[in-house]
Amino acid sequence: MSFILNGEGREVPADWADESLLFLLREHFGLTGAKFGCGVGICGACTVLVDGAATQSCMMRAGDVAGLSVRTVEGLAEGGALHPVQQAWLDLGVPQCGYCQAGQIMLAVALLDATPRPTDADIDATMEVGLCRCGTYRRIRAAIARAAEAV
Amino acid sequence: MRRRTFLAAAGGGVVALIGAGAAVWTQVPVIPKRPDPDVETALGWISHRDGRYTLVLPRAEMGQNIATALKQVACAELGAAWDAVDVEPHDTRRARVKATVGSESVGVFAEPLAQACAALRDAVAAGQTEGQITVRPRPMAELRAFRPGAIVGTSPEIAQGREIVTGAPLFAADVRRPNMLYGRVLRAPASIEMRSAPGSWDVAAAQRIPGFVAIVEDCGPPIAKARGLGIVATRPGALDAIAAALAVAWDIRGAAPAPDIAGSIDVDARTGAGKLPHTVLDGAPAPGDWDVSLRLDVPFGAHAPIEPRAAVAEWQSGALTVWAGTQDAFYVRDVLADAFGVSADAVTVQSHRIGGGFGGKTICTVEAEAAALARATGRPVKVQWTRAQEFALGFHRPPSSHRVRARVADGRITDWDHAQVSSHILFTSAAVPAWMQKGTDLLVGDPGVARGMAAPYVLGRAHAAYDAIRLPVPGGPWRGLGAGPNGLAVESAIDAAAIVADADPLAFRLAHVADPRLAGVLRRVGAIANWSAAATPAAGQRTGRGLAGGIYKEKSYAAAVADVAVDARGRVRVTRLWCVHDCGLVINPDQVRAQCEGNLVWSLGLVLSDELAIERGRVVAENFADAPIPRMTDVPEITVDLIESDLPPAGAGETAMVAGPGAIANAIRAATGRRPVRFPVRAGDLAA
Ligand code: FES
Ligand code: FES
Repeated sequence: MSFILNGEGREVPADWADESLLFLLREHFGLTGAKFGCGVGICGACTVLVDGAATQSCMMRAGDVAGLSVRTVEGLAEGGALHPVQQAWLDLGVPQCGYCQAGQIMLAVALLDATPRPTDADIDATMEVGLCRCGTYRRIRAAIARAAEAV
Repeated sequence: MRRRTFLAAAGGGVVALIGAGAAVWTQVPVIPKRPDPDVETALGWISHRDGRYTLVLPRAEMGQNIATALKQVACAELGAAWDAVDVEPHDTRRARVKATVGSESVGVFAEPLAQACAALRDAVAAGQTEGQITVRPRPMAELRAFRPGAIVGTSPEIAQGREIVTGAPLFAADVRRPNMLYGRVLRAPASIEMRSAPGSWDVAAAQRIPGFVAIVEDCGPPIAKARGLGIVATRPGALDAIAAALAVAWDIRGAAPAPDIAGSIDVDARTGAGKLPHTVLDGAPAPGDWDVSLRLDVPFGAHAPIEPRAAVAEWQSGALTVWAGTQDAFYVRDVLADAFGVSADAVTVQSHRIGGGFGGKTICTVEAEAAALARATGRPVKVQWTRAQEFALGFHRPPSSHRVRARVADGRITDWDHAQVSSHILFTSAAVPAWMQKGTDLLVGDPGVARGMAAPYVLGRAHAAYDAIRLPVPGGPWRGLGAGPNGLAVESAIDAAAIVADADPLAFRLAHVADPRLAGVLRRVGAIANWSAAATPAAGQRTGRGLAGGIYKEKSYAAAVADVAVDARGRVRVTRLWCVHDCGLVINPDQVRAQCEGNLVWSLGLVLSDELAIERGRVVAENFADAPIPRMTDVPEITVDLIESDLPPAGAGETAMVAGPGAIANAIRAATGRRPVRFPVRAGDLAA
């Protein structure tokens, strides 16, 4: 069962196939950016891109990524340069506790990949799944607008 | 299959007995020690080597971005470049660090840190490169950290920001140890205040689940009165399947406790039965009719951090190391030492960034579970609570019931009475042993319940008193403690009194304010919101604008204006928020603003959504669908303005909780003509 993880070929070990993609990433591959928040697909903290689509990795069976391409927050920066979304997040001081932010960033990346000039309604539709208890929503919205200018 | 602990070798499924019988866990709680820091202790936080400095953070970082603020203080005082100071979280091998609670990190820690940094700076300048230094505290005016300059009063990139946006491991659940296993402690689906324990379970079915490692009976102290049954696996995802296969039958003792929580704290029933025992304002209102008499009720609310609490534990030669995201690492260490019968020196708790604390991560729970499972299996074990456990096994904002009355004559409030019944916030069963509770209940009450009850206005003959009732669901500190619900009650009644006086709510408040800083934030928020203008329009909906203000812990000030729109079915949308905040000298304006924004979102949640469903003394919410928190689409544009001040810096983590809820509730009253009194507000109460 091979798949592409942040641009490189990887194997899903047979005994991890029934695990969720989230825990395969976090515990087998040590990519702890995506977080466990609810386990049932409604908080967005575990969001990664699967073949470019924002996907709640807690809801996907690890074995089902065979042949697909997975991108996580760890795979966004290129050669030490932050992705424009990451940079916008820092410039606007978005994170408070930070726990939800890898998921928020991946949602925003998926949004801007599909819709480079998103309207407020586009932002609402994509970001609605990303819960943030610290209440950073206005900054997330502003950072998406800033990143849209930079992309 | 009882009273035994099983371990199966990871691959082979061999079952071996590794422990006999559940230990008798101590029932006397460890009492948290919370000493304020002194300058000598502060010397232990900062060190110098080869031109670089290390700041060991004497606080827990949980999103208040205290790491950034204290690094600013250190850099300013040391005269060090931003990149020359590394910030590290603390562990319990250092001098005790006070629990990170009560928005005191800047107010209480910045000065000792600055004193220590000043002494270190002088020692380094004098050529000292090793050994101890002494601090001779100097007057505040001589400290460079409290003068706005190149670092203090600016907003550098937040500490750990880069790690957050690149997904670097920062949180307790991100810790991985060689040979690590994954555990969970199952508990009965009942009130944790009922005695419960595992009765029987299906070992064979559990063993058939791939990844099964062990069933552990000796799985740590009970949580309240709920004993657990531990399970351990090689993969976290196997735990759900093992739990299901085990099909534990639980022994649950006694009858489900007090089904009627609202009834047991009903303020009118309680005051009808006699005087409230704890007085906050001791004026004596004149007898007679009241012009305002409001009854407000706020239910249980969850902290609902996005991070369910987590810990990794590892034993080596009788010593325990625990990696934890806790607001009180030293308290966790003390509880673990006590629970496992080892000395405090044998336990090290390494603190991590917390994925949202809000007052809820101050107890020792998941850390003890991980330690017990690690001890039983002889391997490091990671435990992260499920979302359902996070709701069910922690403590919550207790419900409160308020009756606020006011009498108005010639445009002024002449008499005031605020009665409240709630449950304990600070002197809870988790914090104070049973024998002591009688004394605290009789003599001091609970300062957490009282917080924010002393209305910050001149109200003539003003009386305020409360009672705190022990409930079958644990309560405790929740952002702002009593200040959120009390501020909501006080500011709703002030608003109602302004209507009776036929006065503008802003002018009416200013006429009752003695404290110039409170008047300052009220005036300023009126100015930036253009108070006399109409609320943000919303086609076909009723709109309104509300105002509130307050003082938090006698140190910091906030005022807010909210606009709302209410549709025909009574659904409320907050359409705009403004907040003015005065916490003295501001170390980091951008992150103080961020705290105000967070508090306003929490205010919105308090008024519109926060409610934790409880049945028969048991939290039944299992997920965010059952206990919703504010979402992206609920939060409008927010404007925050900070008062520039050189008064001593105070906290910002909870202050706006005194103002936000009242502003939103008063806006709903303005929009609909109906005063919200049952929270969270229900659409049915506000339908056109
Ligand atoms: S953990 Fe996957 S959506 Fe919440
Ligand atoms: S930053 Fe804390 S949950 Fe979003």
